[in-house]
Amino acid sequence: MLVSTMVPIVTVPEVATVVDIRDEIAEVKTFYFVFDNPEIERSFRVRSGQFIMCTVFGAGEFAVSLPFSPENDRRHISVRKVGKVTAALHELQPGDKIGIRGPFGNGFPFEEIKGQNIIYVAGGIGLIPLRSSIVHVLQHRSEFGRVILVYGARSSRDLMYKESIQEWKATENFETYFTIDRPEPGWSGEVGFVNQLVARLELPVEKTVAFVCGPPVMFNSVIKELKAKGIKEQNIYSTLERHMKCGIGKCQHCAIGRTLVCVDGPVYTYKQIKTLGEQI
Amino acid sequence: MYFLEKAKLPQLFELLKRDYEIYGPVQDEVSGEVIFDRVPESSGFDLEAPIPYNPPKFVLFPHFEEILKYHYERQTKRVAIERINLLQPKVLLGLRSCDLTGILCLDRFFLGQEFVDEVYLEHRKKLFIISNTCVRPFPQCFCVCTDSGPSAREGFDLNLTFTGPGYLVEVGSKKGQKLVEELVLPEAGPEASRLKKRIIDDSVLSFDRVALENKAWISRATNRLTTGFVRSEVWEYIGHQCFECGACAFVCPTCSCFNIEDVNFRTGDTYRVRTWDSCSFEGYTKMAGDHNPRKPVEDRRNKRFFCKLSYSQSKKYLRPGCVGCGRCARVCPGDIGLPNVVTYIRREITGD
Repeated sequence: MLVSTMVPIVTVPEVATVVDIRDEIAEVKTFYFVFDNPEIERSFRVRSGQFIMCTVFGAGEFAVSLPFSPENDRRHISVRKVGKVTAALHELQPGDKIGIRGPFGNGFPFEEIKGQNIIYVAGGIGLIPLRSSIVHVLQHRSEFGRVILVYGARSSRDLMYKESIQEWKATENFETYFTIDRPEPGWSGEVGFVNQLVARLELPVEKTVAFVCGPPVMFNSVIKELKAKGIKEQNIYSTLERHMKCGIGKCQHCAIGRTLVCVDGPVYTYKQIKTLGEQI
Repeated sequence: MYFLEKAKLPQLFELLKRDYEIYGPVQDEVSGEVIFDRVPESSGFDLEAPIPYNPPKFVLFPHFEEILKYHYERQTKRVAIERINLLQPKVLLGLRSCDLTGILCLDRFFLGQEFVDEVYLEHRKKLFIISNTCVRPFPQCFCVCTDSGPSAREGFDLNLTFTGPGYLVEVGSKKGQKLVEELVLPEAGPEASRLKKRIIDDSVLSFDRVALENKAWISRATNRLTTGFVRSEVWEYIGHQCFECGACAFVCPTCSCFNIEDVNFRTGDTYRVRTWDSCSFEGYTKMAGDHNPRKPVEDRRNKRFFCKLSYSQSKKYLRPGCVGCGRCARVCPGDIGLPNVVTYIRREITGD
């Protein structure tokens, strides 16, 4: 069992080198990184669902969820170009430096859900934070019940992590379903929105948790279907994104309801999200 | 308790000057307004000046502060990051108990939660606090409603109470004791505690006559805010009154939201700067990509008062987030200073 005893990097970023950059989908790139300090490189530990604060030198810092497994996985982040800092990140070349603080936040449950069935439902780049948990669970496959992934994107070009997807399709005891909004030549998967696919599938209900991540419209429609099937609100998990500045519960930018996403989240159950009283 | 003759104040000032930058109530020559600010070495200071326009939080939590400096040479891939730590020890002189309570809230928030704010801690470690009992309230005050005055109970190094001929001096720390010994202050005598109690009682009694601008019976409001039983119409009214200027946050002794930006200098150095921010600004929660989960103004105002008065936030401060200084009511261009908001919430309960 992996215990995270590492003290997070709180104030001064640790320097890391971008060793590899991959194009994922339009405007989204994956950046593999290695810490310059060998001691940090060795001891840096995360939980699935946590996030880091990433500094692009000269541009600023942004919060980003972690797609890599806590165990035996190359450290990387996958980032869409949406603003000033992420645009500067996209300009970087292998060999360039970035700064890392963290990891921060609570993370997805792992120990607590052993023995249960897990349904992952992702839309678009919502697969990024879920990838960490998926890989981790598959690394411990025998300790869980049925493991199911339902992943949808606008088109086949918009599916993240095509390499992982190929691997997952070939993985035994991992039920995967992929859907795109409209038919495409050569596409053999499902067609239609993720929520429609969820509605059609035979899914476990008892002893089952669901991890849902995607744009708000998709999120709300998927929750509706899962609830209709009988999955309880406290067994549906998601991870929220907010504008964050400090990551350590001080700047208050990510306050939602009576909680702070950076320290009380970013992972919430749907039961909690409902009481927060804000848009997701 | 010790006694400090009025005539000995300059001596205290000189002694403090040796080790500390001195911050205290300073009267602005042009406007006549009392500002809590760096006390000029030459000019005198007036401990009995009215409550300052601004709280002292900027001494611990500056409006604008460089917290990190870095230099990245992209050609050679060399990075140099350094902490900036050039802080001088500072003394807050003549702090009112409301403002001291504000600092206690900030301490508990910045130092007592999941993470310690290392930047704040550096400021705090080098701070010396001399509080001053309010022997009379000012028109805007309602600290008696928020249990934060008129006299400080904790958190000071020294606490002063004006008696006429001089000050009763209470010691709250070893640092304070050392200063008292250096000043060679005499004991105040067996009657001192009773005298102090009488001075405070007189001050409390005079609230009814003098402190007429604001009242805030916050306990029922706290209950309503915490349980969410405030009608949306009330928040909408409050939202309509909000100019989104942020003034209430900037004069509040306990508001501590901040922003962080990396600022590039022509030298190639970048400074990571943290600045005050306010939850009333529309861009406060806006994310890159234009998603803003907290758009309507009433959502944002509701957030501020939840932060000041809800039970869940009070758990972080170990008390309500309002200290009864009345500054937000003074600066608000609408009519939603905290005491009025409490009234709107209570009115809903009582149906007045």
